[in-house]
Amino acid sequence: MYQNQYSQQKRMNQPPRVLSTKDDAYLTDALSWELLAAKKAHSFASQCSDQQVKHQVEQLCQLHQQHYNILLNHLSPYQQDYENQTYPHFHN
Amino acid sequence: MNNNRGSYGGYQPSYGGSGSPTIKNPSTYVQKGTEFNDRDRLNDMLATEKWLTDGFNVFVRETSHQELHQDVLRILNETHHACRDIFNLMFEKGWYSLHPEQPSNIADHFQKFSGYQSQFPSHSTPSYNQYQSGVGQHPRDY
Repeated sequence: MYQNQYSQQKRMNQPPRVLSTKDDAYLTDALSWELLAAKKAHSFASQCSDQQVKHQVEQLCQLHQQHYNILLNHLSPYQQDYENQTYPHFHN
Repeated sequence: MNNNRGSYGGYQPSYGGSGSPTIKNPSTYVQKGTEFNDRDRLNDMLATEKWLTDGFNVFVRETSHQELHQDVLRILNETHHACRDIFNLMFEKGWYSLHPEQPSNIADHFQKFSGYQSQFPSHSTPSYNQYQSGVGQHPRDY
């Protein structure tokens, strides 16, 4: 009976768009890495005397802030709403 | 042969050994004192980027859903590009040198590994590479 029901369900060929506990753990780690890298780059840029080095290091600060925002987006309530809607049974 | 010759980010004097020429720009001057200079700052940022690629490499492998996987893969890729930019700038500033391998060694290795191609277990040539970019992939869409 149960076997029969199960086999009639649509099989998922990849994981649903849901953040796993592992995803959340890695995201929070990576956000800290990016924030630290951005702060370090900004601090270094302010100390540089060579303009080319200063410019490069400022670019790095920008890059890490962009990466921070991309990662943060995966934790945003908007994303979570989307996931709740699609897979309500995961969020009881 | 010594494979450890590039003084990557280090302060070792360039020494090619066995008459191998040095490929290097004239060094941009930095104070070689106890204070943290521009070269140190660039080196430290390079170490940071390298460390980040290690972290994101593990992250991308552990992600579950497709959108997260794609975003993290993109961040990993861009972090590698950042490493490369820093490396290029260090080379431009003359803070990094390298030594060309002896052409006879390269020729020997080419010969040796060309011979190993006879060990390939598969002789069919796929019409396309399904793993080409790794982006926009869907499971088993091949």
